[in-house]
Formats: sequence, C-alpha cells, structure tokens
Amino acid sequence: MNKFMMVLASCCLAASALASSEVKLDTVKVGVDASTVGRGVEAMMSDCHSCHSMKYIKYRDLVSLGVDSKKVDEWRGDQPLDAALMAQMPEADAMAAYGSAPPDLSLMAKAREGGANYVYSYLLGYYTTPDGTTHNHIFPATKMPDILGMSNAKEAAERTAIQSKARDIVSYLVWASDPHAQERQSLGYYVMGYLFVLTLMLYFVKNQIWAKLK
Amino acid sequence: MPHRIINWIDQRFPLTSFVKHELTGYPTPRNLSYWWNFGFLAGFVLMLQVATGIFLAMHYKADVALSFDSIQHIMRDVNYGWLLRYLHSTGASAFFFVIFIHMARTLYYGSYRAPRELLWWTGQGLLLLLMGTAFMGYLLPWGQMSFWGATVITNLFRATPFIGDEVVIWLRGDYTVGDATLTRFFALHYLFPFLIIGAVIVHLVALHTVKSSNPSGINLQDKDNIPFHPYFTIKDLYGLGLFLMLYSVFVFFMPDSLIEPANNIPANPMVTPNHIVPEWYFLPFYAILRSVPNMVGGVVAMGVSVLIFAFMPYLDRSRIPGGAHYRPMFRGLFYFFAIDMGVLGYIGYIPPTDQSILIGQVATFIYFTLFLLLPFLSKFEERWLMKRGLTPEIEALIASEAKEISEKRSKR
Repeated sequence: MNKFMMVLASCCLAASALASSEVKLDTVKVGVDASTVGRGVEAMMSDCHSCHSMKYIKYRDLVSLGVDSKKVDEWRGDQPLDAALMAQMPEADAMAAYGSAPPDLSLMAKAREGGANYVYSYLLGYYTTPDGTTHNHIFPATKMPDILGMSNAKEAAERTAIQSKARDIVSYLVWASDPHAQERQSLGYYVMGYLFVLTLMLYFVKNQIWAKLK
Repeated sequence: MPHRIINWIDQRFPLTSFVKHELTGYPTPRNLSYWWNFGFLAGFVLMLQVATGIFLAMHYKADVALSFDSIQHIMRDVNYGWLLRYLHSTGASAFFFVIFIHMARTLYYGSYRAPRELLWWTGQGLLLLLMGTAFMGYLLPWGQMSFWGATVITNLFRATPFIGDEVVIWLRGDYTVGDATLTRFFALHYLFPFLIIGAVIVHLVALHTVKSSNPSGINLQDKDNIPFHPYFTIKDLYGLGLFLMLYSVFVFFMPDSLIEPANNIPANPMVTPNHIVPEWYFLPFYAILRSVPNMVGGVVAMGVSVLIFAFMPYLDRSRIPGGAHYRPMFRGLFYFFAIDMGVLGYIGYIPPTDQSILIGQVATFIYFTLFLLLPFLSKFEERWLMKRGLTPEIEALIASEAKEISEKRSKR
C-alpha cells in the first residue's frame, strides 16, 4: 500500500511539473452570434486572406452565414460563388517572403492543443524586445508578422480593440472548423430530451414487468 | 395466415424452437446485476459501428491525396455526414468503454472460471479483433496522428525474429506508411467487423451452452432462473437508454474531446508531431510498451499484457464461488489492478520524462506481479476462507441449491 501511495504522489508531482512547463493560454469566450462571426469574416478577409487560404469554406458559405452578398461579390471578384477561399498570394511567393507556407485556416481552431484559446493567445502573443525585433510567446518559431499590431499597441483602448478583433477572428475560425456545431448542439438537446423520456418509461415498464416475479 | 407461414417454416427450419430456446425462453439467472448489461451493449455498439461505417464508406475515399478532404466533405457537405462521422468516431471509444466494463465484470465475479473458459477465450479473441479494427480505422482520416500512430505501431513488428524488416514492409505494402497502407487498412477495416460478427456468434453459442454466470458464482437451479424475455429484454433496453444518454452527450456536445487536435492536420511524413499518443483505450498497453527500455522486450511485454487475461482460469486457483464478491483478498487485488491500469493510462498519455518512465516501470511491474501473485494468493485465500467459514448468505444459497438438486434426483 505504501508503494502505491508513493506512485500516486509521484503521479501528482509529474502532473504539476508537466503543467508548469507549458505556456499558459488566455481563455476566450467564443461568439456564436451572426454579428461576431460576421465581423470575424471581415477581419479575416482584410488581414489574413492575402496569405492564408480556407480551402473548405466557399464564398457561398459566407453568404449563407449572413454576410452582405455585395461584400462577398467584392471579395470573390470574378470567381464563382462555389469557389473555395484560396489565398491571394501564391504559396511559392509566401515561401519566398516568409520562409514557410502559411497554413490553411479551415481547421485551425481545432488543430492545436488548446483550440480557440491557442489561436487567440497566439494572435495576441506578440511582443517587441528592446533590440526592436518582434517575437511571439505562444509560438516562438512563427514566421507570421504581428498582423494585429499587438506588439506596438501601448494604450489600453488600442489593446482592447485588438483583443476584440482577435476574438472576432477566432469566433469565425471556430465556426469554420465545424460549421454544423450549432445545428449539432440544438439537435442534441432534442435527442437528450427524447432519450430521457424514453429511458424513464423503460424504467417504469421494467419495474412493472419485474414486479410480477415472486 | 401468419400462423400458417410459421408452420410452413417450422417444418423446414427450427425457427420457433430456436427463438423459444435461445431468445424468449432462454433461462437466465434472476439475480444478475446491471453489470451484466454490458455484453448486450457491446453487441449494440457493434451494430451501430457497422451501420454508420457502411454509410461513411459511401462518401470516404481511401487515397492519400483525397482521404483527409473526403472526411471534411463528409463533415461539411454530406447531409448529416457530421452526425454519421461523430457517431462512428465516438462509437469506437464507446465500444472499448463497454468492453472494458464487460471484461472487468468477468474478472470481478470470476465468470472466466470453469466451465466458462472457452467463453472467456472467444471474448479474448474478440478483444484482439476489436483492437485491430480500431487501430486500422484510426489511419483512415489520414491526419498527423493517424499517420504517425500507424508508423510507430507497424514499426513494432520489426521485433519479429529474423524477418522483422520484411514483415514491416509486408504489412505496410511499402517502405513507409503510404497509399498502399491506407488502401489495405481500409479494406481490412471493412472486413474485420464481419469477422467480429462471426466471432460474436461463436461467443454466444458458447454462452448459451454454459449459460450466464451470476453474482453468486454458483450455477443456479431452475427455480432461480427466469426466461430472458420479457425480464432481460426490458432490463437491457433500460440499460441501453442510459448508455445512449451518456453516448449522446459525447456525440452532440463534445465529440472533439475524443479526437486528438493533431489529427486535424493532414498527414505529413516530413513533420513528426511533438508527442505521438494513441487513442485512450490503448494508453495502458502503450505505457507498458514504453516502460521496457529494449524494443523487442517492450513489444513482448505489451503483447503479453493483453494475452495474459486468457490465463485467468488457471491463474485463479480458488474454488470459492462468487469471484470478488465473497473473496476479500481477490477484491483488493481487483481494485489495485484497476488503479494500476489508470496509472498506466495516464503515464501513456503524458510525454515521457525520467520520472514518468520510472512510474510507468513500477506500474508495469505491478501489472504483471498481480497476475503472477494470483495463483498463490487465491489458494491461500481459499484456505483462509474455508477455515473462517463463508458468509451466512452464501452458505444459505449453497444449501438451497443443493436441496433443489437432491429433490430433482429423488423425483427421478
């Protein structure tokens, strides 16, 4: 038993050691309302779309999401509505400019440990060292410039504006990573309700049948 | 008219008598607890996996250039494709969840003991088939964890004596995990469930030969057996309702909690993930693999850790009925083993550090020691219990069953 307690104790130690070695992520309350996601789409198209693709999202999806179709027409130019959101900059040019291909963002909100919190913390994680170079706390090896300008933002109001923009972008990315999530959850409540009633009735029938036994 | 049709069939095929003997009238111990629901649940999950899997296969493409995209096509464009996919991916975890409880029940109540050895061994075969199916299915989304998990596990076959390298190439169909591996894993992932169905039938034939065990551990006489229908059909359905509620919480509200984030990145043979982890149901065995410093030793230890369950009928030498229920030492061993499994699972999950490797080695040592200790402990406990006497409850049950047997004999 003593040995077992020792193992348990060292497990707890290992867990705490593991937790402290990881960078702490900021938590973000992702918006699911159309206006937040819509703002996210616009921020995305102006700040990210030139380098990053979202190949599983089509322009038509943005229209059905509720984005003004005039804006969507402006973004897509002469591409059809069913075209995917490919980056404006060819991948080879991005490679030449930044040294690595910008990843597709369709699944970004699901593809990192920490999910939405990771992306949010990463976007806001830029800082400038005294020698004038910009780095990122969350992903030190990143090749992406500080696109939201967090490292230069000194005033509180400016920082808040950047944070809310980052939240909009992350909300859009969360939607894009699983466009049926809302539908899934609302269906889920009906399924749970149905199963609850069904199981309750089965429980009563079971008691009734078993009551016949002496 | 229906009566005439059934008569016509019965003259040519034993339909009515089969249904009566094996389903409706099948004698079942009346004292079964809810722990006996999990075999039925495993059968249900198997059917669910087959049904959702067939429809997923209609939209999935087994090709390294297409498979990741085809999963996203299912998730986004196919009508209720997201539901099919989440039912299936959550179903894999649900399958292992019910099977682990089903096995734990067998171990706790000593249901593996004579005359149920073959029942236990067919179950062991089913576990191996299930593990193989789950492993191959995990490659199909062609994400980073799919690719690297398959690479690590197929690589273990290098431990095969003399022809290790050839075996690995033969399994993968290529020098690395690639298109040939993906297509063959898809073919086998579609085949194995039907082998499982066949093995389940064998498992059920064995069950109906020896009949269900029960918490008392004594073979009950007729007076304590009740027909399967309606008593256990309704009990199984009620249990199914409870299970479906838990399952639906995962499917509808947290389906991604069972999918590694790295598997949302397409497979890239040039980039190794920081930390390769298998699915949760393989973690204890993965921890055992990593605990042995030598690769061949690790593979052997992992294999033995799964197969050692088959020896339970011989390792447990006690004749005291009722498994852990009436056996305090065995019960202690059972819970200790369960905790050890939990520790191994946790160690398998975290990235290896000097400390975690040491804990893993201690837990691995305990894992095998408990099995090896069992023959001595069970015999010792049997003597101790014989001397001390069993609880009045079980003594009374043994006496009443003995009376039933002697009454039956005197009637003849």
